[in-house]
Amino acid sequence: MRSAICLPLASIEAVRPVFMIVMGIFLLLIAWRLSKVTSGWSARLIVGGAFLLAFGYAVMMPLYDAGAIEHYGPLKKHYHGSAATALAWYTLKLVLMNAGWLAFGLGLALHAKVFTPPTPARKVPPPTLTSHESIA
Amino acid sequence: MNLLLEIVIQNGLLFDACGVLGLGLIGLAAVKLVRNYQSWGGTMMAFGAISLLVARLFFLISPHFVNDDFLTAIGPLGISLMIGLPPLLLTFGLAGIVWGLWGHERWLNAETR
Repeated sequence: MRSAICLPLASIEAVRPVFMIVMGIFLLLIAWRLSKVTSGWSARLIVGGAFLLAFGYAVMMPLYDAGAIEHYGPLKKHYHGSAATALAWYTLKLVLMNAGWLAFGLGLALHAKVFTPPTPARKVPPPTLTSHESIA
Repeated sequence: MNLLLEIVIQNGLLFDACGVLGLGLIGLAAVKLVRNYQSWGGTMMAFGAISLLVARLFFLISPHFVNDDFLTAIGPLGISLMIGLPPLLLTFGLAGIVWGLWGHERWLNAETR
């Protein structure tokens, strides 16, 4: 399982994992700051989704890229480690990435008030008199 | 393998539908933010969500239509595009969403201060 060569951290091949680590942490940070100005389910969903995504992007994806976790494929027959471990990580990846985006998207949609119908513009009663008209 | 696990993992439709739905919601929310509040972060967020969505749909759909005939039809340039473009879209999509969210958060803080 550990037979794959680990990439040195700042090499060209490792740019994408490092980018993902930075993005994942940054996403979590911004979501936390955003949650301070929002409230209720919107903030909870945003932070929850960002937490899942940050774990997925900052921890799991680099581990996959470094070869510490084996890729799982339905047709793959030979694994270096155990097939069950690969399957478990694959399941975790599916859950983290998809549930993370779903929760994050739901939170953001609640925050942007996508689901609430737009409040109708307050109707200004039409003036019965123009300013030039005299009352008398 | 456990039957439930098999259904969930091998068909994968359930989770993929969740992910695609979430990305669609992000795009929708971003467009709404731009239209209603003129928050500039929304544009970047919409761009990021759309590129992530395109890449993800490509990964979902490509096994069904990519075969040898298709590969010879699109030629070497098409093949290299097909290999190179989805990771690029995924990378820049994530960057777009994070950048857009940062912009929106700054805008929101400036507004409430």
